[in-house]
Parts: sequence; C-alpha cells; structure tokens
Amino acid sequence: MAGVVKAPGAFAITPHKVSVCILVNIYASPSQISVPFPFSSVSQHNRLGLYLLALTKSCDDILEPKLDQLINQLREIGGLLDHWLTDHVTSRLSSLSSPDDLFNFFNELRETLGGPDSGVMEDDQVILDPNSNLGMFLRRCILAFNLLTFEGICHLLTNIGIYCKEAISSCSSYELRRVDDSGNDFESLSEDENMDLNLVFKKINEEMEARKRATEQVSFHLHLPKELSTLVEDIEVSADPKSEHNDKGRESSSYASGELLRDVDPNGGVFLRTNWQIQGYLMEQADAIEKHGSSFTLNAFELTLRQLQKLAPELHRVHFLRYLNNLYHDDYFSALENLLRYFDYSAGTEGFDFVPPAGCNSFGRYEIALLCLGMMHFHFGHPKKALEVLTEAVRVSQQHSNDTCLAYTLAAMCNLLSEIGFSTTSGILGSPFSPMISVGTSLSVQQQLFVLLKGSLKRAESLKLKQLVAANHLAMAKFDLTHVQRPLLSFGPKTSMKLRTCPIIVCKELRSGYHLISEFCCEGSTMTADGAFSTAWLKNLQKPMGSLVLSQDNGSRNNYNPFLFFTQPSSIPGSVMQLVGSSYLHRATAWEIYGSAPLARANALVYATCFADASSSSDAALVHVKLIQHLAVFKGYKEAFAALKTAEEKFLCVSKSRILIMKLQLLHERALHRGHLKLAQQVCDELGVLASSVTAVDMELKTEASLRHARTLLAAKQFSQAAAVAHSLFCMCYKFNLQVESATVLLLLAEIHMKSGNAVVGLPYALASLSYCQTFNLDLLRASATLTLAELWLSLGSNHAKTALTLLHGAFPMILGHGGLELCARAYITEAKCYLSDPSFSVSKNPELVLDPLRQAADELQALEHHELMAEAFYLMAIVFDKLGQPEQREEAACSFKNHVMSLDHPHDVEDPIQSDTLLNA
Amino acid sequence: MSSKESCRIELRTAIRQLSDRCLYSASKWAAEQLVGIEQDPAKFTPSNTRFQRGSSSIHRRFRTNEITSTPPTGVAYVSTPVMEEDEAIHGDFYLLAKSYFDCREYRRAAHVLRDQTGKKSVFLRCYSLYLAGEKRKEEEMIELEGPLGKSDAVNRELVSLERELATLCKNNTIDPFGLYLYGLVLKEKGNENLARKVLVESVNSYPWNWSAWSELQSLCTTVDILNGLNLSNHWMKEFFLASIYQELRMHNESLSKYENLQGMFTFSNYIQAQIAKARYSLREFEQVEVIFEDLLRNDPYRLEDMDTYSNVLYTKECFSALSYLAHRVIMTDKYRPESCCIIGNYYSLKGQHEKSVVYFRRALKLNKNYLSAWTLMGHEYVEMKNTPAAVDAYRRAVDINPRDYRAWYGLGQAYEMMGMPHYALHYFRKSVFFQPIDSRLWIAMAQCYESEQLHMLEEAIKCYKRAANCNDTEAIALHRLAILHRELDQPEEAAFYYKKDLERMEAEEREGPNIVEALMFLATHYKTQKKFEEAEVYCTRLLDYTGPERETAKSLLRGMRIAQSGFPSMDVEHFHP
Repeated sequence: MAGVVKAPGAFAITPHKVSVCILVNIYASPSQISVPFPFSSVSQHNRLGLYLLALTKSCDDILEPKLDQLINQLREIGGLLDHWLTDHVTSRLSSLSSPDDLFNFFNELRETLGGPDSGVMEDDQVILDPNSNLGMFLRRCILAFNLLTFEGICHLLTNIGIYCKEAISSCSSYELRRVDDSGNDFESLSEDENMDLNLVFKKINEEMEARKRATEQVSFHLHLPKELSTLVEDIEVSADPKSEHNDKGRESSSYASGELLRDVDPNGGVFLRTNWQIQGYLMEQADAIEKHGSSFTLNAFELTLRQLQKLAPELHRVHFLRYLNNLYHDDYFSALENLLRYFDYSAGTEGFDFVPPAGCNSFGRYEIALLCLGMMHFHFGHPKKALEVLTEAVRVSQQHSNDTCLAYTLAAMCNLLSEIGFSTTSGILGSPFSPMISVGTSLSVQQQLFVLLKGSLKRAESLKLKQLVAANHLAMAKFDLTHVQRPLLSFGPKTSMKLRTCPIIVCKELRSGYHLISEFCCEGSTMTADGAFSTAWLKNLQKPMGSLVLSQDNGSRNNYNPFLFFTQPSSIPGSVMQLVGSSYLHRATAWEIYGSAPLARANALVYATCFADASSSSDAALVHVKLIQHLAVFKGYKEAFAALKTAEEKFLCVSKSRILIMKLQLLHERALHRGHLKLAQQVCDELGVLASSVTAVDMELKTEASLRHARTLLAAKQFSQAAAVAHSLFCMCYKFNLQVESATVLLLLAEIHMKSGNAVVGLPYALASLSYCQTFNLDLLRASATLTLAELWLSLGSNHAKTALTLLHGAFPMILGHGGLELCARAYITEAKCYLSDPSFSVSKNPELVLDPLRQAADELQALEHHELMAEAFYLMAIVFDKLGQPEQREEAACSFKNHVMSLDHPHDVEDPIQSDTLLNA
Repeated sequence: MSSKESCRIELRTAIRQLSDRCLYSASKWAAEQLVGIEQDPAKFTPSNTRFQRGSSSIHRRFRTNEITSTPPTGVAYVSTPVMEEDEAIHGDFYLLAKSYFDCREYRRAAHVLRDQTGKKSVFLRCYSLYLAGEKRKEEEMIELEGPLGKSDAVNRELVSLERELATLCKNNTIDPFGLYLYGLVLKEKGNENLARKVLVESVNSYPWNWSAWSELQSLCTTVDILNGLNLSNHWMKEFFLASIYQELRMHNESLSKYENLQGMFTFSNYIQAQIAKARYSLREFEQVEVIFEDLLRNDPYRLEDMDTYSNVLYTKECFSALSYLAHRVIMTDKYRPESCCIIGNYYSLKGQHEKSVVYFRRALKLNKNYLSAWTLMGHEYVEMKNTPAAVDAYRRAVDINPRDYRAWYGLGQAYEMMGMPHYALHYFRKSVFFQPIDSRLWIAMAQCYESEQLHMLEEAIKCYKRAANCNDTEAIALHRLAILHRELDQPEEAAFYYKKDLERMEAEEREGPNIVEALMFLATHYKTQKKFEEAEVYCTRLLDYTGPERETAKSLLRGMRIAQSGFPSMDVEHFHP
C-alpha cells in the first residue's frame, strides 16, 4: 500500500496450520489419563509438546514447510509413534474434502480448549489452557477460520488438496533420499514446474563448487548470521543427527546464495523461514558480499533475490541487497537504481540497524538514503559528488535532528577526505553553505579534515556509538600519523622541532579502539539481530532429541537463556572484530612508516592469524601484501614470489586488487636490480594505467607509479628526464599534501643529482628530505637519507670522507636493525668506500675493516640479484686485494665483477614463469 | 496506400472473421476504422450505407470475391485470406460453443469443443480456456489479498495451453489466431523473445488483428527492439507504428503517422483520440480540448482516453466542464478505471485531496497497473504533505513504466520538498531525459540548482535556457534568467533577458511587478552603458507606474539630462576621483 506499511502478521489460515492444529489436537486430546492414548511415556508426550511449541512460535513465516517436510520431522520426534502420527495427520487431512468438513474440524478443535470456567481441573487431565501458547495458537486459528469468507474456505480446501498431493508425489523421492542420505539430490524432483528452477540451481551449485575449488575461501560465519547458517545445519533434521551431518550442513551453508533457492525446492529439506529469518539471511548475505567483494557470484544471488522479491514483495530490504550486490560488482547504474528504489519504498525506515526502532517521526529517514548514496559515490570514485551528497546528508540530518545519522555522515566525510586527494574543497565544503565548517575557505583540506574528525568523534562519544567511536579513533590515528598538528603552514628548519607528528598520540588513538572489544564482551547479545531470536527455537529443537537435559527442566528456564547459551559461540560481533583487526593493520602501517620492520611484521602477522575470519577480502589482501613486501625486502625475491603464489591462489586476482599491484611492484624492483630496463618500464607503465582507472584516480598509486618511472629513468642514466619526472611528482605531492611521500621524492631527487655527478645540487634535497623525515618521525627513511647524505659528501671529495663516515655510523644502528637487504648493502659499501678514500687509512694495516663489510654486502645482495651494487662491491674488493698483494683473490673478485657487469649490460633472458604470467594477464 | 474500397473490403471480412473467433475488441477496433473510412461522396447516400452495413447478402457477395480483392497497388501484399471452415456438423458445435462464449461461460464453451480438430474450433477452445483462467485469476486476486498487496494468483491454464499450442506450432498446424494466443500465453509466462517472434508471425500472416499488434507493442519497449522486428508492409503496420511511436515518446513521428492515416480513415474516432493524446504529450492543450469536444459530440458514451481529456481540463482549471465530464462517465460506467480517474481529477481540482485519493485507489483496484492513477495519487499525497506515501506511489508508477516522466518529476518534487535538492536532482534528470520538451521540468530542475543549499547558478541558468526554449507558458524562465545573470554580475546577458521578458509580457499584455523590475533594470543598465536614448525610453515608460520606481526614474532622467548637457564636466569628474 502506498505509504502504509502492511501489517506483517496478518494471520491467515494455511494447510500447514491445519496440520499443526491436528497435531495439537492429538497432543491435547481430552482424556482422563495423564498420558493420552497414543503416547507411551511422559517424555514422548513432552517431546511432541516442545515440537509443537516450536512450530507455533514460527508461524509468521514467509514459506511454510510442505507436508513431507513435516512428516520427516515427525519421524524424528515421534520415535516409535512415527507411523501413527504421520498416518493420523495425512488421513485427517485427506478426509477434509468439503467445506463442511472444515467447519466440523474447527468445531472439534474448540472442544480441545478448556473453557474459561474450567480453571480448576484435575492434575492428570490434559486440557489446553486457552491462554497458553498452544491454546492461543488454536484460538487464533479458529478465529481466522471464522473470519474467512466462503471463497476463502474454498481456497483453503484446494490448498489442502495441493498440500497433500505434493507430499504423496514426493514420498517416493523421500525413500530415495534416505538411501543415499544426501540433502542435495535433485534427481528426485518430480514436478515439471520445478524442473527449470532446479536446473538453474544445479548450475549455480556447480559454479559455486568450481569457485570453491579455485579459491580456497575461508568460511564466512559472522556474528548474527552465525545463527542463521548454523540454523541450516540444525534444522535439516536427518535420520541420524551425527556430526557427519553437521559437517555437510556447514558445507552447504557456505553456498549461501544457493540456500534460499532450496527453500522453494520442495525437497530441499529446509524448515520454516520466518520474516525475521529472512531479514537475518539478508544481513548475512550483506556481510558476505562485503567480505568477498567481487568474488561473490553476481547472477546467482541476483536470481535468489528476484525470487525472494516475488515471494515477499513487501520486503524492501531485498532492493538494498541488490544494491550491495551491484555495488560490489561495479555496476554503477543498477546500484544507483536499486538504492533509490529501496529508499523510495522503505522511506529509510528499515535501512540501517543502528537506527532506534522508535518511529519518532513519520517523515521517514531519507537522510540515510543520502548517506548511502554518498558512500556509493565514494565507492565508485566520484569524490566530489560524494562530498556534495554527504553535505546534503549532514544538513538533512541536522534538520531532522537525527544525530546518529549525522555522526555517521561526518565519519564518512572524514574517510572520504582522508582517502581521496583533494587539492581543495572550496566550492564544496568550504562554501558558506557548508554546515560544519563555518570557518570559511581559508582552511586547508587537512585542517578541515581535522575539524571534521574532532566533531565526529565528539558526536559519536556523546551518542555512545561505540563502533563509530572506535572507527573515529582509528581515523584520527591515521591523520596523526601523516599530518603534523597545528599551523601546517611552513616546514622551515627553524620550527621543525615543534612541528612534528607525535607517535605517542597515534599509539593512544589506536589503543582506544581496544576498549570496544571489552565493552562488547560484557554487553553480549544486545547487538544480535532479532532474526536470531526466533531461530533459537528451532535450534533448540535438536537438544531434547539428543539428550533429555533440556526437556526435563524446561519449565524452570525461560526460553531466552538457552538461546544465549547455545547460539552464541562468540559474543563478539564480526563488525567489532573487523574494527579491532583494522586497528592492527593501522599499527602495522604506522610501524612501517616509522621504520620498525619487525614490529610492522608482528602486527601484520597478528592480524593475519587472529582476524582473518572477520576481515573483508580487501583487508586480508592488504595484510598479505604487507607480509610479502617484508619478505621481498628482507629475504629476497625468491621467497617473496613463492609467497605471492600462495596469496594469488587465495585471492581472486581481480582487475585492481592489491595483490596485482604488489606483483607489479615486485617485478619492477627485480627488473631494476637485474638491469632489465625495458621490462621495468613496461611494468611501470602498467602501474600507471592501474592508477588512473575508471573508478577515480588513486593518488597513492599514482605517486607510486611516477616514483617508479623516475627510478627507471635513473637506472637508464637519463638523469635530466628522471629529475624532471621527480620534480613534477614533488609538485603534485605538495599540492595534495602528501608529505610523507614528499620526503621520499626529495630523497630520490638527491640520488638523481648524486648519480649525475652533481653532488652539490643533491645536498639540499637530501637535507630537505631529512627535515621531512624528522617532522614525521620516519626513522628508517631518515637513516637512508643520512646514508645518501654520506654518499653525497663522499662524492664531494676524499677530504669529506671523515664527515661521511661519522654520518654513516650515526645511522648504522637504524639501518642494520630495521633496514632491508639493499639498504644494508649500500651502507656497507659506502662504509668501505669511506675508508678507502680516506687518505689517513691504510688498507694493509687493517684489511678486514674494509673487506668484512664488502663481503657482507655481496652476500646480502646475492638474494636481491642486484647486479650493479654487486659489481661495485666486487670491484672494491678487487682493489683491496690488489693493494694487499693477493693476486689470486684479486682475480677471483675481478672475475665476479666482470660477470655482474656483463649480466647488467646484457640481461640474459632467463624468464621465470611468474613474470611471463603477468605479462599475459596484463 | 491501398485504395479505400479495398481497405473497406479487407476490414469487413476481417471483422466477420474476428468476431467469429470471439476476438471482440479487435473486431470492435476494426469496425471503428471501417466506419472511419471516408465514403465516396458520389456513392454516398444515407440509405446506402445503412444497407451496406446491415445486409448479410452483401457479405456473402464479398466473400465470393475475397480472392480477387488483392489491392492493385501491391503495397499491402497480404490479402484477406480465406479461412478454412469447419465441416457443417462440427460447425453446429462451434455455434453452441460460441454462444456459450458470448454468455461468458468459457469453460462450458471449451468443453463443447473438446473433440473438435478444426483450426477454428481449436482456437476457440484454447481461447476460452485462457479466458476462463484469466477470469479465475482476477477473482482469486480479489479473494486472496486485494490487488494492491501480495498476490500470487496465476492463470492456471497457462501451462497446458502453452504445451498444446507449442505442439501445434511445431506441427505447423496453427493459424494466425492461434499464433496470437500462443504469443499471449508466452508473454504471460515471461518468455518475451519467443512471444515477440510468434506475434510477428501472426501479424504478418493476418494483419487485421489489432489485439495482436497491441500485444506486440507492449513487448517492444525500446526503439532497438522495434527496429529488430521483421514486419511485412501493410497499412495496419502504419497504425502499429503510430501507436508504438507514441509509446516510445516519439510524439512528432507518431503525430505525422496518424495524420497520414487520417487521410484515409477520416472519421475514425480512434485516430482522433490518438492524435489528441499525442498533442497532449506535446502540450498543445487548446487543440486537444477541441479534439476531445468534437470526439464527445460524435461519440458521447466513449470512455477510452477520456482520462486524458480530464487531465487537460484539470490543467486548464475548467471546473464545470470537468464536473460535467465526471457526471457523464459515471452515468455511462462507474466501474471503469478511467471513470474513477476522472472523478479523482475533479476532486483534486476542487482541493479535496482525501476524496480524490479514494477514487484513485478505486481506479487502481480495478487495474493495478494503471500508470497515471499511481502518478496522480502521488500528486495528491504531495498536496496532502504525506511525502513518504507520495514517494511510494510515484515509485510504483516508475516501476511499472520507467519512461513515465511525470512520476520521475513527482519523485524529484517530493524530495525537494523534504529539503534534499541534490537527491532530487537525480529524479529531475531522469524526468527531463524522457520528456525534454516540457518547460516545467526544466524549471523545476533549475529551481533545484538555484536552491540555497546547492547554489549552482551556472547549471540553473543552463536549465532555464532549456526551459525558455520549450515554450514556457508561465514565463518564469526568462525572468529568472535575467535575475540570475544580474546576480552573477553579467549585465549584458541580464539586459538581453529582461528585454526578451519585457517583449513577451507586452505581447501577452501582462501587468505586474516584473515589468517594473525589468524597466528599472534596463533603464539603469543603459544609463551606465551611456546609451542614454534607450535609457530614456525605459525611464519614461516607468513614469506610467506608481510607487518608488517612478521617483527613481525621475531622478535618473534628471541625472541623464545633466550628464548630456554637461558632458565634458562629467567626463572630468569621471577621471579624477
């Protein structure tokens, strides 16, 4: 209905409810003995009672079980009574052949209920209390029947006929199923109409299977969906509830998108699905989509959703799921279309789960629509549009005083500003119409971001949105990591002591994220979706069968406790896990920037081992990238490429994945070291293409690509060109306030000038880089800048060798402790060169002082296949040996030198599979 | 085009054949066109026509001539085919079945024909089964949940019908009518591609079945699909093209086709109504009103397309005419969606929006895919300030037909009302995409851009320019353009638009503050430009008005006179401040 949400629980009488009524009638047949006729023991009687309770609890479902499913369950419950019960139900149902039979049936039911005056009864007499659950159910059924028009009764009658017929036609298939005990056999399908559906499902199943084989995915059970997916295992009541079955259920639940199709499949063996369950299912799917990104099957899920929509046209969340599905498959137009449709229909009232359900205004929550739209634009890389939409979202949520939405919107804006390089926001944010920043346009983007972050954090704290607080702390940490606080105006050496980033603040921010986890631990189930609740009943169903513990003291417990007890293996919601996990990722990055390789590695490892289950695919890929890069720097390429291979198997190599980017980076570095300049340029170009893809320009990647371009030019000894590229890169970094990157670029410029023989020009660059490094606490980069500075001094003449050596020795602890192979080798070689060029140093007196570092350098470079540096090392060695008068060793070193120079000049083409692989892929 | 006479012959035969197969709406349509053909004035006498239409002997005579009735021009190369007739004994059963059918006892009709194998009998049997299923489906829809909510009612005959017709089709023992039915069934089953193919085959071999054409039309949602159809030439194709062009919003093409057809079918009410609808889409309301008045004079009990007429009356705010129309349709047939829609329109015009919603709801109960009712209901909810309900109604309209620009416009309006101009823009963009010639849409979009929150004046100007180019009847665009240019400090452009606006207001003899504003601006503008003559003209015109502007104009004039007389001193003053 237009604008009016239809009452969800219009209680209609259905064939399934009729059979439940029959069972209730059996359970509570008016007799005088404590255990009525067919039952042999109290526990048997109770078991049926519990089962009936479960059935009545989930009567507001979307899909009801077919008769044969009911019969299957009765077999479980009934034990010895199995045949009697099923026969009774089927015969009773088939005896209903005319409308009058139905009238009589419901009249009989009325007799089962005790009258209001029969409150006093004998202890051993079973009479249904009209106010009990079962009694209420019966009364509701009777009432619903009485309200039916004659046409309605006719419909009920035909439906009962169909219901029975289906059961009979699938009876044979049931037997078949029992034989091979597989829930997934489709051969047994007898109805024509279901054939094509089944074909589709089969295909999907195959597809999923193939995917599973191709990519060994981690199972994706998260917090709330957990109940649902486990539910699937449990409700497939099979003949032997052994663990073997559970395994199968788990497996089948990981084809989650095929799952719903099975609902429709009459032999799928799936139990009830309540409205809540469907909501829960949809939420699970939403998480799954986020987690697996584009490796989630688009069409299969789309098909499921379409079917769901047909069955429940008022369930608007389906549109939202379609939006998500399209979003992660980069279909802009469908995503937009579905997002708008969803909010048009639902008015945002079922949009987000953090929205308190109290319908405080009838206006609808269109501000959430704006928030989602903004995030969508962000995802598709339209930052400007996203910012516009988010600005509107801020305004509208202020207007309707939806503080929660406001806080989230601000957080989204911060994220946007920090992720995407804006040179200026004037005209968008800084305009006088901007709600938050009335300070005007004079602020830089960074300052605006800072103001926004502070505001967002404060808001989230006051609203007690814990997850948002934690997320904001992380964002704050990220900001602190790469931006100096306060003025931000000059970076002159005078003020450099004051203007520094503060690692302690970063650490503090990161740490405050942890409070989240402890808070969620004590809060427990408040975050679980309501959908989980109704499933708990069915979940418990198995317990009385397995052991009688629960069925005996059921009366003393309320139903909430067992629910908590059984369905919550981990009380921490997946989203919280994700947040905490990402704080580890942030730490790893922070240490990477600060230059502590072991700590970065440790944090990455913690993430990879502890949070892999909860992480999204992109985060998981990022961690792998970090670890592999670490390997490449410290262990050489062989190991890195081996690790890369496993990572590639783990993550589907989609168009712009981090894995692919890292592969290109590794290839580029190796090509440079080996002297394959053509290949290096090729790989570099590929990176450049990735940087400016259809979905927005990735500033980080763009910087990376041009940095590598400059490096390649440098290696090709085209100094002026390299300098030009580096220079324009520096300009870009400056424009977009990428200060950490600026330091790297300045260092590169210094190197370029050094290599071109212009040491004097290089010096200021190296010094500028040093000051940047100091400002941002980039210790490792600072060490390597110091190294370059030492090299520069050295190339100024032998009288500066002492200065160079002092500089070098100052940086040595950092370099040896945290630097990679190449850096260490360079440091060693430079040290040796310093000694050699020092006129006061005599080789013959102290040969090991020079030879030792050179040997070490040669060893370390071996893994990197860095021919240029190796040649240098061997050359120096040869000179030393010459001076020492050891011709044999001199010849040996000279020979190695020759080999390396040769291979540098004539890169022999012994290509390994990985390399040719990429070129094919690219 | 073939000659009128041959057309007439073809139609007469077709009507007989169609009504023989109980395809009544197609035969109704054909009959309307038959009467619409202009009579040869030489032969025309009233008695003659009456005789021709009523006499069966004429029919018999024409039947014998059927084969020779191929039009000599050769454009329409499909001649009226002779349908094989079932044998006499079976013919009796057929007659019984047909009478049952005529009494709407579809299952009974199908039962009578259960053992008949003639093509005609098979068709009628299948057709009655189909209709029986449809009837039951409709009933169930009401019984189960009501047409606005969930309904899983399906035509239960479809499966068996599809199977039977597919076999017939495979054995090549199916006639064009059977193909039509097959297409219908396929469409209902969702197999659109095959349905299209089958329907094309049907209309190619028997073009006079308008129902088949309409079904085909509903399956052609884009121009590409239309161009992909392999249709034989026939004058019926022209009707089809005209109709589908209208559906695809190619109004001018459609209009020219209809006007072409009108040369032959001069008196066709159908064509007249379609022309009116096309013109309505082109927003030529005056003409539309005339056409509809004419139409109602000829055919006073007509209900089809009358909702369009009521829309015109609504836009022109003709209270009494609209109430008269509403009264008339309710006397004719109360339970037609068009009637309910007209009454809804009437109440809306009277400002009684709740009542209006009631009638739109009734229209939707009668036909839940009734597009304009959803849209109009959305408008009512907007009036009632119930924006979520309005959004919902509009969205349903859009989901039924994504090309409905009014609903997109409504969505945009609703969101704009809620203070979400940026969000609304998307909807307005959609709306102008489907109807780029409607100035109101452009103006709405421009106002969105102009809104305080967005303040994207450049874009607003672009929109207003588009609006000004498409016959902006309310003359908002020019005025706003002038103001915006003034605000953006572009006096030249502002003057240009003020002048245009002024000319327009003069032409339409409008009065109001806008004139004063325009004169005022132009006077000062020309004065600063040192074009004193023009400035003086505007100033003197200002003197005709009362108010403070008059005084300003006086002082302006005075200043100019001083400046003109003491030009050099003025110059000096100008350069040494």
